[in-house]
Amino acid sequence: MHLEEFAGGNSFFHRLDPRVKFITFVPYVTAIAVMQGIKAPFVGLIISAVMILAAGIDIKKVLNRLIVINLPILILWIFLPFSYPGEGFFSIGPFTATSEGVLHALSITLKANSIVMATIAILGTSEIFSLAHALVHLRAPVKLVYLFFFFYRYISVIHNEYTCLKKTLTARSFRPATNMHTYRTYANLIGMLIVRSYERSQRIYKAMLCRGFKGTFPVMSHFSLKKSDIAFSATMALITVIIVII
Amino acid sequence: MHISEGVLSPAVLAAGVILSAAGVAMGLKKMSADRMPEVAVLSSAFFIVSLIHIPVGPASVHLIMNGLVGVLLGWMAFPSILVALTLQALVFQYGGFTVLGVNTFTVAAPAVTAYYLFSCAIKRNDNSSLTALAAFCAGALGVGLAALLLVLALVTTGEVFINVAKLIAIAHLPVFIIEGAITAFCVLFLKKVKPELLN
Amino acid sequence: MEQGENIIEIEDLNFAYPHEKKLFNSLSFSLKKGQRVGLTGHNGSGKTTFFHLIMGLIKPLSGDIKIFGKSRKDEKDFYEVREKISLLFQDPDDQLFCPTVEEDIAFGPLNIGMSHDGARAIVKMTCEKLNLTGYEKKITLRLSGGEKRLVSLAAVIAMNPVCYLLDEPTAGLDNGATERFLRYLKDYADTYIIVTHDRELLKNAVDMVYKIDDCKIIRV
Ligand SMILES: Nc1ncnc2c1ncn2[C@@H]1O[C@H](COP(=O)(O)OP(=O)(O)OP(=O)(O)O)[C@@H](O)[C@H]1O
Ligand SMILES: [Mg+2]
Repeated sequence: MHLEEFAGGNSFFHRLDPRVKFITFVPYVTAIAVMQGIKAPFVGLIISAVMILAAGIDIKKVLNRLIVINLPILILWIFLPFSYPGEGFFSIGPFTATSEGVLHALSITLKANSIVMATIAILGTSEIFSLAHALVHLRAPVKLVYLFFFFYRYISVIHNEYTCLKKTLTARSFRPATNMHTYRTYANLIGMLIVRSYERSQRIYKAMLCRGFKGTFPVMSHFSLKKSDIAFSATMALITVIIVII
Repeated sequence: MHISEGVLSPAVLAAGVILSAAGVAMGLKKMSADRMPEVAVLSSAFFIVSLIHIPVGPASVHLIMNGLVGVLLGWMAFPSILVALTLQALVFQYGGFTVLGVNTFTVAAPAVTAYYLFSCAIKRNDNSSLTALAAFCAGALGVGLAALLLVLALVTTGEVFINVAKLIAIAHLPVFIIEGAITAFCVLFLKKVKPELLN
Repeated sequence: MEQGENIIEIEDLNFAYPHEKKLFNSLSFSLKKGQRVGLTGHNGSGKTTFFHLIMGLIKPLSGDIKIFGKSRKDEKDFYEVREKISLLFQDPDDQLFCPTVEEDIAFGPLNIGMSHDGARAIVKMTCEKLNLTGYEKKITLRLSGGEKRLVSLAAVIAMNPVCYLLDEPTAGLDNGATERFLRYLKDYADTYIIVTHDRELLKNAVDMVYKIDDCKIIRV
C-alpha cells in the first residue's frame, strides 16, 4: 500500500525542516478556515497553487485529489445557493438562487481547495515518520506520537493480512452481494483481522520488553534549522497576517 | 464520515478542538505503556477496515465501526481515532487538519458512549442473543450518533445547512443497519475465538 | 563469566496457556556458557513458548527458572535477564516496531541507559558486522522479508548479549545472507539456542541437538 505519494522529490518543500512545516502550516490554514467572505480564501488559493507548482510534484495526481475533495462540495452547491433569503441571482424552475448563497458556496469551495493544496505542498512533501518526529520536538505528548508511529508502522502488515484473507475468500468463490451472508462473512474477516492484530500487539510488547523497555520511550533527535527554513517561516508569517487583515 | 474543510464556523471548529483535546487527554491517561501497542495495532486494523467497501444494492458504503472501537478501547478510542483521522487528512486529504478536532469528536464521542452503554451487556457470557443485540445497538449507535453530531455541527454553523444536514441523516440510514449487523456478527466471532479481548 | 558456568537451569517446569491442556510437564533443561544448542520439535510443540518463558514474557504454573544462578520470579528479576540474553522473534515484523532501521537497532541500547552517541556508534558497528551499512535511515516497514530478518538480528546483536535465543533465524534468508549470519555466529557468539527445522543449520552451527517431545525436552 503506497500512502506517501508526494513525499519523493528534491524541491525546496521536500527539504524544509518538518518542524518549520507545522509551525507555518497550522496558522496559515487556520487563518484561511476562519476568515469570512471570499477575499481571504482567494488569496489563499493563489498562494497554495504557487506552493504546489514550487513543490514540483505531479500536477495530474494533485488534480485527481482535488476532484475527490470537491465531490462533497458539489452537494453543497446544489443546496446552499437556494437556501438564502435575499436578492434573486438566477432561478431554476421554482427555486431562486441568491447572490449571498452563491458567494457562500464559492467561499467554501475556495477555502477547501486552498487548504488541501497547502496540505499536499507543505506536509505531503515529507515522510510521515519525519513529520511525526517533528511533533515530538514541538512538545506533542510522546505517548501520542509513539502511538502514531506504531499505528502507521503496522498498517502495511495488516493490509497484507487483509489481502491474504480476501484472496482465500475469493478462492473459495465468495462474491459480495447485498445479503446477510456477505455481512456475516465480512464480519468474520474483520474479526479475524482484529484477533490477529491483538495477538501481534502482544508479541510486539514482548519484543519491547526483551529489549529492556521499562515504560519510557526513547527519543532520537536529528533536526537542524537551515537559513531557508527561517526565510520560509518569515514569508509564511507575512502571508498569514495578510490573509487575516484583508 | 467526515466534514470537509472550509464549511464550519470558527466557533464550531474551536469547540471540536477543545472537546477532542479533552477526550484524547483522558484516553492517553488510561493508556498505560503496556497497552500502547495494542491500541496502535488495533487502530491500524480499523484503518484498514475503514477502507473496505460493503455492497448495498447498486452502491457500496465504507465501514466506520466506531461502536466496536469504543467497546474494545473505551476512552482510548479518542487517541486511536485521532491518529487514524490524522493519517487520512495527511495522505488522502479527506476531512482535513482544520476540521480534525470536530471529526475526531464526532467519531470518538459515540464510541465512548457505546462503551458505557453496551460493553457490560456484551461482556456477559450467559446469553448470546443479548450479547448480539447489545453489539448491534453499539454498532448502530456509533454511526447514528456520529451522524447526529455531524448534523449538529452543520446546523450550529448556520441554518442554511439544514437541507444538507437532512440529506446526510437520510444517507446514513442503511449504514446504520449494516454497521449494527456487522458489529453484532463480529462480536460473536470475537467471543468464540478470542474472548479475553472483550474482558 | 567463565566457560562452563551455568546460564540457564530449569527444574520441574509446568506450563499451560489458559484454558488449554498442559504444554510442558515437569520439564528440565540446562545451558552452560559456551554451549551451542539446537532445539527442534513439531509445530506447536512449544519451542517459541519455551523461549518466552526464559525471557519472563509469560510465567510458568510452577517450577524453577534459574538464570545466571539466580531464581527468577517477578517482572523485575527479568530486567537483568533481558539485558544479557537476547531473543530473536520468529516473525521479524513483531520485532521491528521503530520507524527507521537506526532507531530500531538503538532502541535496546537506549533502554539500558546508553547515551545517544553511544547508541549511534553501536548502530554503525552492528550494521558493518552484518553488511547492512547504508540501511541506517531506511524505513523498516519497507524492507523485504529477508532484510527485515537481518535488521531484527542486528537489533538483537546490538544488545551484545551473553546468550542468544534464536527462533528460526534463517527462515526467509537467501544463501548469502545465511552464510553471513553463520559467520557472525562463529565469530562473535559462543552461547546460543537455535530453534530450526533446517538440517544444514543444525549440522553447521550447533554441537548438540535437543527436541521437545511429549511435554519435555530430551537430547537427541
Ligand atoms: N497466546 C496463546 N494462547 C493460547 N495458546 C497459545 C498461545 N500461543 C501459543 N499457543 C499454543 O501453544 C502451543 C505451542 O505454541 P508455540 O508457538 O510455542 O509452538 P512452536 O513450537 O513455536 O510452533 P512452530 O514450529 O509452529 O513455531 C500451540 O498449540 C499454540 O496453539
Ligand atoms: Mg514457534
